[in-house]
Amino acid sequence: MLKIKDIRKNFGDLKALDDVSFDVDDGHILGLIGQNGAGKSTTFHSILNFLHYQGTITWNNQPITEDVFNQIGYLPEERSLMPKLTIEQQLIYLARLKGKTAKEIRPQIDIWLQKFAVKGTKKDKIKDLSKGNQQKVQLICTLIHHPKLIILDEPFSGLDPVNSDLLKKAIFEAKEQGAAIIFSSHDMENVEELCDSLVMLRNGQVVLKGTVRKVRQEFGRTRIFVTTDWTKEQLEQLPHVIKVEPQEEKRFVLRLDDETAGKEIFDELTHGQYIEEFNQQPPTLNEIFRLKAGAKNE
Amino acid sequence: MNKLWIVTLETFWRQVKSWSFLTLILGPFIMFAITIGAGYLGYQSGGTSSEIAVISNQPQLRQNFIKENKDDVMKKVTDVKTAKKKMNDNSLAGYLLLNIDNQKVTAKYVGTSSLNSSLKTKVNSYLAKTQQQLNLANAQLSPAQIQSLAQQPSFKETVQKKTGTANTAKTISFWITIIMVYMILNTYTSITAQEIASEKGTKIMEIIFSSTTAVKYFLGKVFGVLLVILLQILIYLFGGWGAYIFAQNSDLTKDIVAQNQSLITSVLKNLLSINLVYLLLGVVIFTILAAFSGALVAKVEDAAKAAQPVIMLNLLAFFVTFPFQNNLDSIVVKILSYVPFFSSYFMPLRIINNDAGSMEIVISLVVLMASCVLLAWYIGKIYQGLMLQTDDSSFWKRFTRGLSYSK
Repeated sequence: MLKIKDIRKNFGDLKALDDVSFDVDDGHILGLIGQNGAGKSTTFHSILNFLHYQGTITWNNQPITEDVFNQIGYLPEERSLMPKLTIEQQLIYLARLKGKTAKEIRPQIDIWLQKFAVKGTKKDKIKDLSKGNQQKVQLICTLIHHPKLIILDEPFSGLDPVNSDLLKKAIFEAKEQGAAIIFSSHDMENVEELCDSLVMLRNGQVVLKGTVRKVRQEFGRTRIFVTTDWTKEQLEQLPHVIKVEPQEEKRFVLRLDDETAGKEIFDELTHGQYIEEFNQQPPTLNEIFRLKAGAKNE
Repeated sequence: MNKLWIVTLETFWRQVKSWSFLTLILGPFIMFAITIGAGYLGYQSGGTSSEIAVISNQPQLRQNFIKENKDDVMKKVTDVKTAKKKMNDNSLAGYLLLNIDNQKVTAKYVGTSSLNSSLKTKVNSYLAKTQQQLNLANAQLSPAQIQSLAQQPSFKETVQKKTGTANTAKTISFWITIIMVYMILNTYTSITAQEIASEKGTKIMEIIFSSTTAVKYFLGKVFGVLLVILLQILIYLFGGWGAYIFAQNSDLTKDIVAQNQSLITSVLKNLLSINLVYLLLGVVIFTILAAFSGALVAKVEDAAKAAQPVIMLNLLAFFVTFPFQNNLDSIVVKILSYVPFFSSYFMPLRIINNDAGSMEIVISLVVLMASCVLLAWYIGKIYQGLMLQTDDSSFWKRFTRGLSYSK
């Protein structure tokens, strides 16, 4: 289990992390979300001991030192490999730095290249691969030594939907094998699909924490999808409606400041008559993200 | 395997398998081969075309000249017609017509180019001697008068061969040492700084530092480069030994080697000594500084610039040696022989000049080694922060932000 407790890190006057705490259990996936500069990468750098911080970070109750490095698979935000090496040389070199031998890794290379549908052979040089294939090789570098703690910084950025699916499959496989996985993403659909829980950072502070379901429920069912003959202006006059977003013909999304107003709005709209659609839901993660990120500027 | 050694061996093999290393190693041998080859070709072609023919109506006059200058004369040519034919074939440099007309010795040279100065001197000397003999015979002098006229002035030159050779050896050793140290330091400084800067530019360091500590990685890089230089020195030692054996046995060079045996031995003694340790430690300290310099670069495109500060320092140390070429006893030389970065140049020069005692050498080595350790320790400590700091800001901002990673 990865345990992060009260970590703080300042860069000069800037509070990069301010009392950040969360846990990631074995076999669980945690999504770390937040705007650019919220402190996601700094959190990863702290876990990996790249920088000095205050607070405690432990993996299976021991501090993260070089002894733990072999159990970690890390994919940095900025993709990088050694361009002059072949795929095989690159994978073996990095796996050896993770405590594996060339003999252990060599037979696995083709399997992983196939799993990620990398175009080319293991004898191809990294510099000769397309950007997408280089990214896949880097993902293989992160996973080939079967880490117990996987840290992925924006793993989906730059991947097309097909390759995103390949990565999701690999992440789920690692989860099934008991790895604790933490990843950052701006794509809330991926977070919703993959994560057991999430942490949202804003200005280095935790502003949301919990399972995806719990987080959404905390925001209440403040969204109503309706299909009606009413106009936008008429809908805006309804009680507790703070915003009306037209969608396709006759379809609108109403945003409420109080979820309990749903029944009253339903009565107003229907007056006991048939209505094509009335669906009250909690906000999506994307909306929550926007809402929480927007609060920064308030 | 220990991660330090994984990095060391990876750095070593990557360098050794590169074209630049092959060029670096083969360069001196190719130069040696070209020099020998050019000398041989020159020797071969020059052997025929520098010979002249001597033609004369007086056989004794011709024979005497040939007897004294047999290496310069093609004996078989005895007439002008044959000589001209050979000149047209480029197998004869020219012909010399020798005669005595009215008790006067005359000589006329016809050639494809001017008579070379050495042979011209010999011809003049022969003509003067022959003319004098003729004059004495014509003057019919008494033996006493002849003896009186035969008196020659006296000029004596005494060269203390051992001291002369030693001085020449010192001068040669001086230049070989400083040029060798400069070239090797320059090469490895550039290689290291560019490699580190490239790695930083490709952002691979986050992956590396999630696998091993920055100190181990940094030391692995330095040790890797050190292994490369050790290999290079070993290749040069064996290659140099092979070239020496070749030079001793080759027809082209064995006379030169034999004539200069004591000089060659002195130079080799000066080079193959504790000076090699200074060269190695020089590479170490400059490599550490080069790694630091490379770590301060922000972009991969700036990798070529990374080595500049260290190259400038090396250049400074190199040029500072020049004024002291003939003044190795100077106090400045003594001070600089203890100063890291400079001592790799100056202490070897003092050793060559027999001006450094054992204790002085030990102290200088200890200072140099301690500096290497302290510098490696400090840079290893801040290395991770510097390598992870990739903002495209000013040099100073990158440096201070890099340091803040470690606080």
